[in-house]
Amino acid sequence: MSGWLPKSAAGRRWLGLAPSYFVIGVFMLVPMVIMGVFSFLEPNPYGGVKPVGSVAAYVKLFFEYDLEDNLVFNPGYLNIIFRSFQLSFGATLLCLIFGFPVAYYITLQPEHKRNFYIYLITIPFWTNLLIRTFAWIIILGRGGVIETPLLWAGIIEDSLRMMYTDGAIAIGLTYSYLPLMVLPIYASLEKLDFRLLEAASDLYANRLEVMTKVVIPLCKPGIIAGCILVFIPCLGAFIAPNLLGGGKKLMLGSLVQFQFASARNWPFGAALSMLLLAAVVIVLIFYARAAKNRAAIEGSA
Amino acid sequence: MTAAIDIRGVTKIYNPDSNQPVKALDNVSLTINDNEFFTLLGPSGCGKTTLLRLIAGFEQVSGGEIMLFDEEIENLEPNRRPVNTVFQHYALFPHMTVAENVGFGLERLKKPKDEIEATVERVLTLVKMMHLGDRRPNQLSGGQQQRVALARALAPSPKVLLLDEPLSALDLKLRQAMREELKQLQKETGITFVFVTHDQEEALAMSDRIAVMSEGEVQQIGGPTNIYEHPVNRFVADFIGDTNFLDGEIVNLNEDLVTCKIGSESMFEAENSGGHQIGDKVTLFLRPEKISLSRPDEASGSATRPGKVSNLIYLGNQAAYTVDMGDGIELTAQARPREDGRLPFAIGDSLAVEFSARALRVLAQ
Repeated sequence: MSGWLPKSAAGRRWLGLAPSYFVIGVFMLVPMVIMGVFSFLEPNPYGGVKPVGSVAAYVKLFFEYDLEDNLVFNPGYLNIIFRSFQLSFGATLLCLIFGFPVAYYITLQPEHKRNFYIYLITIPFWTNLLIRTFAWIIILGRGGVIETPLLWAGIIEDSLRMMYTDGAIAIGLTYSYLPLMVLPIYASLEKLDFRLLEAASDLYANRLEVMTKVVIPLCKPGIIAGCILVFIPCLGAFIAPNLLGGGKKLMLGSLVQFQFASARNWPFGAALSMLLLAAVVIVLIFYARAAKNRAAIEGSA
Repeated sequence: MTAAIDIRGVTKIYNPDSNQPVKALDNVSLTINDNEFFTLLGPSGCGKTTLLRLIAGFEQVSGGEIMLFDEEIENLEPNRRPVNTVFQHYALFPHMTVAENVGFGLERLKKPKDEIEATVERVLTLVKMMHLGDRRPNQLSGGQQQRVALARALAPSPKVLLLDEPLSALDLKLRQAMREELKQLQKETGITFVFVTHDQEEALAMSDRIAVMSEGEVQQIGGPTNIYEHPVNRFVADFIGDTNFLDGEIVNLNEDLVTCKIGSESMFEAENSGGHQIGDKVTLFLRPEKISLSRPDEASGSATRPGKVSNLIYLGNQAAYTVDMGDGIELTAQARPREDGRLPFAIGDSLAVEFSARALRVLAQ
């Protein structure tokens, strides 16, 4: 044993973990603390912040000054936040509806095929998200892939105006994060003992009941993980809302991006980020609680 | 007697369209009577589990038909067949309690709630698991899981209960105890049991009738004594119990006995089961427990042959002796230890070996 290593087991464990603590500290905690501090400063009109303490950014989340300089409640930003949750929820639901059958289908394939299909699922990640989202403009847009043949065939007479709608954003979000739903569900389905399905059908469960009573309850951890992996990035997404929502239908992510880039109100952007962070933490706490309860119930005694 | 299950010329081929089709069952026909403890016995890969899965509906027959109480069930989904299965590894639902597991089938059948509760309680009492209804399967021992699996399959009162090697994962003592309980349970419930096992001892101990299977074909169907004492071929004689085989040729025969020449000059007499001719090549078989061994000076009858102990295996309640009979013939025989626990013979001892001609039987080659 070399002399410079810590003597105790605990000390050695700390030393072993030190690189990961360093990475998490420098690349995650420090930027987050900076954002937290910025949210309590005053904006510099030319970008950046002035080192003057202020809670103005947080006040701006809920209130505005009217013409007579009175603070009045302003639901504008709250509406955007609410819309973000709505759209993220919708996109998560769509991902689940499309993702679960895909994951289930892959699980039923022979092993060598399964790996190939999983490889196919990851292919979209090879191209930049921005470019892939642009492709949806070509698909949905005026004179795009969907409209042109329908117009030509005379089924529709005018543009469907699919672009710049909530639907377009939801489609974009679903498309962007679908693999993040498929992969964890697949991971939990793969561990499923398929003899349980036989047992269920032997005990008079029809196909639907086999799904709802056995398969879905047993891969709930995967479904929850998939939902979190989709819901959280959806809340902060700004590419799909900006490109497919035309930047007019704002979501939380695009609002943050707008504050830092165009509006040059860094503290307000930082405050919005903190709010987003809080929302995510709340979701994760619920998840952790559910997981803990489940572990307590199913844990081996 | 009513037939619970009638299997008529069933053939099962796995991967029929691939270049390596596997024939798991070849034109199997058998009838399982109502209220019977019927065992499918055979080595792994003999098709016994395939047959069980065909009855349960997890696989489709490639040919032939399966009747359940005179009803064609081949086109029914597993959930529409009034049979339940006890799976080899139990396949209990890990996310449900014991009581929920047992009630699962009844709930799918849309029984009223109070009836479900009453049945679950009754069945759990039957398998002595009433006190553990709130546990989860992973909180139970192997034997307890086994009982829950049994209770779960019995709860919907199936017309036939299918058991796929349910005791194979238990240790010896528990396995022996469960044998008696299963047999008892079958009598109490009056449900037809179809039991799959590769353990011949288990089959002999529990069954009303046994079908011995090998390579996708039924070799013999009969009661335990019938199968043990009158195996129809070498496979059955070899698979059930320990056996001495003597290959030879019939040199003489009368109404009762055939005389066979074994080795170069040894003559053995055996029961004439009929249909033999002088010159037939046959195999004689002789169960070890039918051979009595004694010291040459203590030998009682005149019909003894000389032998010499060439090997012995101590088994506690008895010892298995390999006896060299000369002329290249070796027999396995048994002897009990004496009252003081010492074995009666040692390796190298000379013996007088005695067995009756009626204990020797002729097997078709």
